[in-house]
Amino acid sequence: MGIRGLSQLIADVAGTAVRHMEIKHLFGRKIAIDASMSIYQFLIAVRQADGGVLTNDSGQVTSHLMGMLYRTARMVENGIKPVYVFDGKPPALKGGELSKRSERRQQAEESLKTATEQGNQADMDKFSRRTVRVTAEHTAECKRLLTLMGIPYIEAPCEAEAQCAVMAAKGLVYATASEDMDSLTCGSTILLRHLTYSEARKVPIAEYSLPRVLELLELTMDEFIDLCILLGCDFCDTIRGVGPKRALEFIRKHRNIETILENLDPKRYTVPENWPYKEVRELFRSPEVTPVADIELKWSSPDEEGIVKFLVTEKGFNEERVRSVIQRLDKARSDSTQSRLDGFFKVLPRAPADKAAANKKKPSAATTTAAKKAKSLKTGAGKR
Amino acid sequence: MLRVDHLFGLRGVLSWPEPLGIPPCVFFPSPFPFPPHSTMFEARLPQGQILKKLIEAVRELVTDANFECKPSGLSLQAMDSSHVSLVSLLMRADGFDPYQCDRNRTLGINLRTLASVLKCSSNDDIITIRAEDDGDSAILIFESPSSDRLSEFDLKLVDIDNEQLVIPDTQYDAVVRMPSAEFQRIVRDMQILGDSVTIACSKDGVKFSANGEIGSGSVRLKQSSAVDSEDDAVTVDLQQAVSLTFALRYLSLFSKAAPLSPTVTLSFSKDVPLLVEFRIADMGHLRFYLAPKIDEDI
Repeated sequence: MGIRGLSQLIADVAGTAVRHMEIKHLFGRKIAIDASMSIYQFLIAVRQADGGVLTNDSGQVTSHLMGMLYRTARMVENGIKPVYVFDGKPPALKGGELSKRSERRQQAEESLKTATEQGNQADMDKFSRRTVRVTAEHTAECKRLLTLMGIPYIEAPCEAEAQCAVMAAKGLVYATASEDMDSLTCGSTILLRHLTYSEARKVPIAEYSLPRVLELLELTMDEFIDLCILLGCDFCDTIRGVGPKRALEFIRKHRNIETILENLDPKRYTVPENWPYKEVRELFRSPEVTPVADIELKWSSPDEEGIVKFLVTEKGFNEERVRSVIQRLDKARSDSTQSRLDGFFKVLPRAPADKAAANKKKPSAATTTAAKKAKSLKTGAGKR
Repeated sequence: MLRVDHLFGLRGVLSWPEPLGIPPCVFFPSPFPFPPHSTMFEARLPQGQILKKLIEAVRELVTDANFECKPSGLSLQAMDSSHVSLVSLLMRADGFDPYQCDRNRTLGINLRTLASVLKCSSNDDIITIRAEDDGDSAILIFESPSSDRLSEFDLKLVDIDNEQLVIPDTQYDAVVRMPSAEFQRIVRDMQILGDSVTIACSKDGVKFSANGEIGSGSVRLKQSSAVDSEDDAVTVDLQQAVSLTFALRYLSLFSKAAPLSPTVTLSFSKDVPLLVEFRIADMGHLRFYLAPKIDEDI
């Protein structure tokens, strides 16, 4: 999932590219959410006390609907305008990763069986989470719920992350919300992680700014994509022996994978055979997406009776609770919304000089004394 | 302010570590014993209480802020954490006595710390802000009017990464001037009713109204015709009638600046942020900008 070790690398090398914030600071923002990822999260996280998925009387799984309803309502209440983006067909290159995932799922299913036979509750819980799969039915139900709630969704032609990224890059939305770091590789100017986490967990939202990441890593976008391929993505293998640190070092030195390969010591590192890095790079650079001009986002009032019919009559939700969520949605919509100051006044790009000064501030004492030392040594030597 | 190396400047050479090679007086080629450092920032504010009132007015809105020190004066710009409002402060160099700034400096200061340090000053104290060129702290000096009491505080500077906004010059539709105590009172009264207030300016005057679950209410101010003092007057300079809605929480924070100035100016235009300005006696201003609440159909 995502890019291996990228979040750690950013935390280590480009820490100031990440800001932590509360959900209320995002009011007034349009945010594209990776829907498949969220549904998956809901299926894993929204559970009963005994660890089983939420089901209704007739045994149908309802975790995803529960999650979708409550967490979307929470965003709307906080003044966020969410738009969900669903995955289309997986890119051909992802085949390997997908078959690996289904293999792992099969293993988990078998382990789950053994655990159930042995009655090991902790293991049952663990493996049942690993067998989770987002089915077409889950997706369809979520889409139906979103339509009734008046929340727009988009079906991406291919990967949802890429679609979110292009929407963020073109300014149609403020940010992409996903847990996958690929969103940055696909070019999302801003990535929000932990947005759909439950409130109870009190995890702050992390805002990654792509321009800042590039600036602090001292890379161009193309170099950053190559770095991500070296780190390890969903689409191809990596060079054995090249970890995050070395990957960054290589990219900074050689600037692209071709030059790295030319200068690589074949004795120390093994490059995968027929490594399709060029295709993968192309996939990140120009992914298959619906052009932003063809997308129209419209938020509308929730259809109260429609939601009640779906969730209460068909899915057996508690009517009182569902109605109260709808009321909250309605109230959030009818309140006049607070606008943001940065919507009126332009943010001044950070002046490069200031930035250098800001970056240097901490070590500045050290560098200036070092400079002085050097200077004094020179003059001192001169005197002698 | 005394530093050991000023007093013992020459003797310090004896203990100067060998690898550094050369005595410190080479870096500070100034006469013994009180060398004014070659470059530094220093601003002495005879009316120290202005600074106290300023910081009291903004500390709840902004926790950390960068003071920009330029030869022309001292300024500060910062947004609150939710990016709804903005504080912009300007204190011109001529309001200080003396003001010394040879090159631009940015002093990042935690306002809460600054406010608590300023509490240690008396209202009639003269306050001096000083920063050494390569220092990592700002120095505050409180001097009693008779100069017989001198306190000094060293505040660690902080690294603040704040976004600067470009504020365009705006021709406002309506400019309302009123006593700042009146503004403070209206904001307080409106808060009883709801969390937002609608301010409507027309040729008759200005009307503040709020409604909430318990009911609704309004305060209407007419342009004053004849008043004894200009400070007590309410004036409306109107190009065009305008009505906007704002969150009272922020207006209430802004109104904490009332002690700074007897009057306040509110400037409105349709669909642009409100400007609330308090003048700082002959030396500058404290401005607040607030993004309006909007009804949007989506």
